[in-house]
Amino acid sequence: MVDFVQNCLDGIMLGSSYALLAIGFTLIFGVMRRLNLSYGPSIMVGAFVGTLVYLEFKANALAIAAATVVGAVIVGIYVERLCFRAIRRGAAVASMVSSFVIWMQLEEIVTVVFPDRTYPFPPLVSAAPVELGPFFFKVENLVMFACAAAMTVWLHWLLQYTRFGLALRAVSENPRAALFMGINVGAVMFLAFVIASAFGGVAAYLIVSADGQITPLFGLWATFKGLIAMMLGGMGSIPGAILGGLLLGVVEAQSIWYLGTEYRDLSAYFLLFLFLVFRPGGLMGQLAVEREQAAMRRV
Amino acid sequence: MLEIDGIAASYGNIQALRGVTLSVEEGGITCLLGPNGAGKTTLMMTIAGILKPRRGTISFLDRNITGMRPSGVVRRGIALVPENRLVFPHMNVHENLIAGAYLRLGKSKAQVRQDVDHVFARFPRLQERTKQLAGTLSGGEQQMLAVARALMARPRLLMMDEPSLGLAPLVVEEIFRIIRDLHADGTTIFLVEQNAHMALQVAHHFYLLEQGQVSFSGKPGQLSEHEVIQRAYLGKQQGRDQSATDRDQPDGTMLRSG
Repeated sequence: MVDFVQNCLDGIMLGSSYALLAIGFTLIFGVMRRLNLSYGPSIMVGAFVGTLVYLEFKANALAIAAATVVGAVIVGIYVERLCFRAIRRGAAVASMVSSFVIWMQLEEIVTVVFPDRTYPFPPLVSAAPVELGPFFFKVENLVMFACAAAMTVWLHWLLQYTRFGLALRAVSENPRAALFMGINVGAVMFLAFVIASAFGGVAAYLIVSADGQITPLFGLWATFKGLIAMMLGGMGSIPGAILGGLLLGVVEAQSIWYLGTEYRDLSAYFLLFLFLVFRPGGLMGQLAVEREQAAMRRV
Repeated sequence: MLEIDGIAASYGNIQALRGVTLSVEEGGITCLLGPNGAGKTTLMMTIAGILKPRRGTISFLDRNITGMRPSGVVRRGIALVPENRLVFPHMNVHENLIAGAYLRLGKSKAQVRQDVDHVFARFPRLQERTKQLAGTLSGGEQQMLAVARALMARPRLLMMDEPSLGLAPLVVEEIFRIIRDLHADGTTIFLVEQNAHMALQVAHHFYLLEQGQVSFSGKPGQLSEHEVIQRAYLGKQQGRDQSATDRDQPDGTMLRSG
């Protein structure tokens, strides 16, 4: 029983980083109704910028974190201009395919610039685990959880209580109607992308610094985790992204403990499979789907 | 108040405007009637700044607003109640109204709050549903919300695109009562309608738009309601056969200025 609870706690900490990745995905999807596959690779580039700052300048943790986030945001803007802004009137699948192309491009660039593939990444904190009753907490996991929680609360405040949040929600519900209100839809989409990239940058820093190393494969990994967590929660739903991320973390932690490390990804895919079969809308998406149908019947 | 001169624009492949000229008088109700695909919505979108016209000019209160961004058009005092209402379904009624006042939110919160009260006084049914999600309202209530949301922009000119679309007859009556009330309170209204019967009852001046051109301009009564209805639905006084042949000659000479 203690093991099970310990795994749940570990899973929630791990899952909080997935939740951040999923929030980034879902923010972009919710506003644009388009999938950004190069989300993971772009924050991977951010993490390599962090590594570069570390190796070249022996910078402190804060500077490395800042470099990671700034790098992720800049690459995010590059993706937005190329795959989304430039073909906003084109088919949604065009954006997805071109974001896949940019994914390949980013990976290639990183392998050329960083030929050793695996690079060290300094830990944020190096302290002994905290003991609380029968349970252990790694300090970096606690930091990860605290950051994720703080950013989620901030995002909630931004969306619900600010003028920009109102505009963002309006655009995600109906961009045409938002235009009629005088909302600058292009600018809102751009800023949503920047916020998503910044969230991804923070997530990348927290994950990579906990791992202690970075490889170009991190991009693929981050896209997978973020996509799965988003689909578990329901595409376009922020509460869904959080729940999906936490659920994915807990399931992974449990399967690592009871089945073995090699089952970690397998169980994640199995979970996704179950959801796609039995609850294709995801945890929160289903609700949205049903509400939408109810609304359509009334119109 | 609003002067449209020789506007040509296209939206998709079909709904094209080919030199539309019309004007909206301050303090009146001006109606634009015409069949599906005549370009009524295209004209609305062009005025609202969503579409850039290829030719022609639009001026509002003697200022040229041709090709202005949508936010600029709203700021000048033109608000649109879009076709199919387009309320924000997962936002509640109050949030929808606040979104209507988006451009004023930064400056005068108190004024916006006051305007919400005004709008609620006009639409008590919306007040009862303040916290209800807009998507769960009935069609008529959604239309009221769309009108109320447009009013939140404090427009000098209110454009309405097919407010009666898809509503039950009794609800349509109510929407037109609202239009009359708004006019009585001094709002200038530019109404696009398919429901010629209702529109002719409120209009001070009306235009017929057929195949992207104004084919009639006048006061209700200058043309028999029968003829208006026929042309508003079928696009041609002779009926379907004629309009089928006209389609082969896209620049047919149909303009009859009133």
